[in-house]
Amino acid sequence: MKSKAWTEKFMQGVFFVAACASVLAVALICIFLFANGIPAMREIGFINFITGQEWRPNSEMFGILPMIVGSLYVTAGAIIFGVPIGILTSVFMAMYCPKQIYKPLKAATELLAGIPSVIYGFFGLVVVVPLIRQFGTALHKAGLVQNPGNGNSILTASLILGMMILPTIIGTTESAMRAVPSHYYEGSLALGATKERSIFRVIIPAAKSGVIAGIVLGIGRAIGETMAVIMIVGNQARLTGSILQGIRTLTGNIVIEMGYATGLHREALIATGVVLFVFILIINLSVALLKRGADHE
Amino acid sequence: MSNKMTVGDKLRTYLKHPGSFIVMLLVMLASIITFAVLIFLIAYILINGVPHITPSLFSLEYTSENASVVPALVNTIIMTFLSLLIAVPFGIFSAIFLVEYASRGNKFVEVIRLTTETLSGIPSIVYGLFGMLFFVNALDWGFSLLAGAFTMAIMILPLIMRTTEEALKAVPDSFREGSFGLGAGKLRTVFRIVLPSAIPGVLAGVILAIGRIVGETAALMYTSGTVAQIPDSVMGSGRTLALHMYNLSSEGLYMDQAYATAVILLILVVGINALSSVIARKLTAV
Amino acid sequence: MKMKKFIAILAAAGMVASLAVGCGNSSDNTASAEGSGDAAASDWDAASAITVVSREEGSGTRGAFTELFGVVDENDNDMTTLDAQVTNNTSVMMTTVSENEYAIGYISLGSLDESLVKAVKIDGAEATAENIENGSYTVSRPFNVAMKPDLDNAVATDFMAYIMSTEGQQVVADEGYIPVADVQAYAGDAPSGSCVVGGSSSVSPLMEKLIEAYGEVNPNASIELQTSDSTTGMTSAIEGSYDIGMASRELKDDEAAELEGTVIATDGIAVIVNQANPTDDLSVDQVKSIYLGDVTTWDAI
Repeated sequence: MKSKAWTEKFMQGVFFVAACASVLAVALICIFLFANGIPAMREIGFINFITGQEWRPNSEMFGILPMIVGSLYVTAGAIIFGVPIGILTSVFMAMYCPKQIYKPLKAATELLAGIPSVIYGFFGLVVVVPLIRQFGTALHKAGLVQNPGNGNSILTASLILGMMILPTIIGTTESAMRAVPSHYYEGSLALGATKERSIFRVIIPAAKSGVIAGIVLGIGRAIGETMAVIMIVGNQARLTGSILQGIRTLTGNIVIEMGYATGLHREALIATGVVLFVFILIINLSVALLKRGADHE
Repeated sequence: MSNKMTVGDKLRTYLKHPGSFIVMLLVMLASIITFAVLIFLIAYILINGVPHITPSLFSLEYTSENASVVPALVNTIIMTFLSLLIAVPFGIFSAIFLVEYASRGNKFVEVIRLTTETLSGIPSIVYGLFGMLFFVNALDWGFSLLAGAFTMAIMILPLIMRTTEEALKAVPDSFREGSFGLGAGKLRTVFRIVLPSAIPGVLAGVILAIGRIVGETAALMYTSGTVAQIPDSVMGSGRTLALHMYNLSSEGLYMDQAYATAVILLILVVGINALSSVIARKLTAV
Repeated sequence: MKMKKFIAILAAAGMVASLAVGCGNSSDNTASAEGSGDAAASDWDAASAITVVSREEGSGTRGAFTELFGVVDENDNDMTTLDAQVTNNTSVMMTTVSENEYAIGYISLGSLDESLVKAVKIDGAEATAENIENGSYTVSRPFNVAMKPDLDNAVATDFMAYIMSTEGQQVVADEGYIPVADVQAYAGDAPSGSCVVGGSSSVSPLMEKLIEAYGEVNPNASIELQTSDSTTGMTSAIEGSYDIGMASRELKDDEAAELEGTVIATDGIAVIVNQANPTDDLSVDQVKSIYLGDVTTWDAI
């Protein structure tokens, strides 16, 4: 009997240690990123680094404001394109879709999630970039914009990222909507509401937390996406006011220059990673706080 | 649904509620866009890739002539296996801790949840940087499959934890009470009763994780290196299919083979998805 | 009430988004139609802005390009215009230029695919291996390999001897690079063992061919090729994780202090434009002013 009690205690310890693994991983990631990134920030000057508008590593100028703004631009763009279409598509999948075609469609959205980002990049480069260039030229000829841009632009990246976050949003939103008890919906119909009214005023509000979780995951994917974005966004490290112009993102800055960087340049790139990491931390923490607030309601 | 409506009934309702009709149209439009884009994308890959799938693409050795995918395929399998070997025990055990052992409202549990959520939100490029700084440089493993596998393991840990947790939670409490009632200890209950009934859920998580490993590029570029051969040991460097495709495409010399590799990657993903739906069906059958 | 607003916003956003994508789809057809017409030269509008495409900071190709064309300030700092698109990828560079009629870019001569893009003459000289050899085309850079002077690896030494032999340089010439003159026939003793070669992704395609050719004369040796970048190549050669490092640029002073560098080939840099672009010939100064951002339209050259 005694040995059995010992095994119980021992295994409980094992489970506990395993549970600590994720905490340890986050701690390690923090320590190593910060240890390698902070010295560069100190050398450049934190304010200079964050608010500097010029990135010329060869001239020792390290300002990543354009990249921060760039990441925000393309992420916002991806949300504008991806979220409405994603939510409406999941409404279709959950409420309208005929049984016979549901399976292939569901498999197709899952496939969309499995396509490597490099492919999205080439697709964007060959198909979407020329379209946006013509779109820009048309606007320019109509006198609507000053600079037509050349296709490699914030708009292009937003479209492609919007496509890339679709499966994430569809997956989570659909399962959240399916988790809403069916008597909510039936009750609403019985009260005389139309199908659409019932969906948008009863089911979606009830599935709110799942929908928000999907959007947040989508934001995370959009802000962290690298390989596809660097092929289509132009990567100019400067600020711009037009969505037809290119810009560089934080992730792009790291991948593009890491290969050849040495010394302070390399450390500045790791510091760029730190900034990206802090961004994600802020998003996650605020979502956790929001959730806690919602739970207490 | 019990209330079957005829087309005429539907039309009449929509005429009465034009707002609803517009919403319905929007839903349809959005779905059409989604699936049109999807079909276009898949067709684009197939059209560019399928004509270039040749027998020489499947030679055992990679040379600059054949751009064979076999070494990369083998590396992908090794990488997947290693990462799962590391992540699955940790993921399952920590889920067991969270569901079966930790008391409700425990502060430590909240910390674990928060860190797991953080992990699942970190972009892969940051994992790549971390893996390079920690496994490759600090632990001095060099660019190796092992460094890649550990990085991937951390990346998929939250995924496996979450799905296992959901699966464990779904096991009815009556199972546990029955087992305790028969005199089994907690450990025995967990391993003999709770975990077996949660296995399908765990497997679904594992398959999601495999999909993530197979498609990963940015995190592996800085950790497992880019050698196009099967390494002699896990301390050797080797590139997986997605990375292989990236490298083929980056110098512009092998675009055709890159698209062909993409088709193979796509087939792999379809296969994994099919497997997951089989398992999901089993899950609902239980 | 809140819900109503939500729906309204959702509907509006959805409408805008679908409209945008709808537009995208419709113009898609026109795009493919024009694409099949192969962009007739009459469409070419010289008043259009030049799309300048550049490689990333620190890349060996960019370093050589800016230096040779003088796209630098008085302190030799890279002054490429901030409006230039940046890519770290030769094929993205080629695809961008082949898709965009008004683009200009530069790539390694070995990667040039003339079915996609057009290489312009520089000061009247065509970008060919012969012209680089006879000195009329000046835009070129060395491919370096480096190893520690005291390296004790028979395979690495023998492989180096093979690269610098008539046979090895034949491979270099076959791949479209410019070989080193004055070499002897290979007379190695084919030792067995292994060695690691790694570094610049520009040198890598050539090195791959060299390793395969070497494998035929010496089947006893196994050589592993790591594709990373010039700096990693040099650093790893100093640290010892690579036996031979590759760089697509000159060795820096601190690297040259530890390593013995050898030029194994010379690679030209081709300045490329779209095939619909009527420009065939550019002077060094014209390229320079385009990359400095002083000239922004094709008719202003």
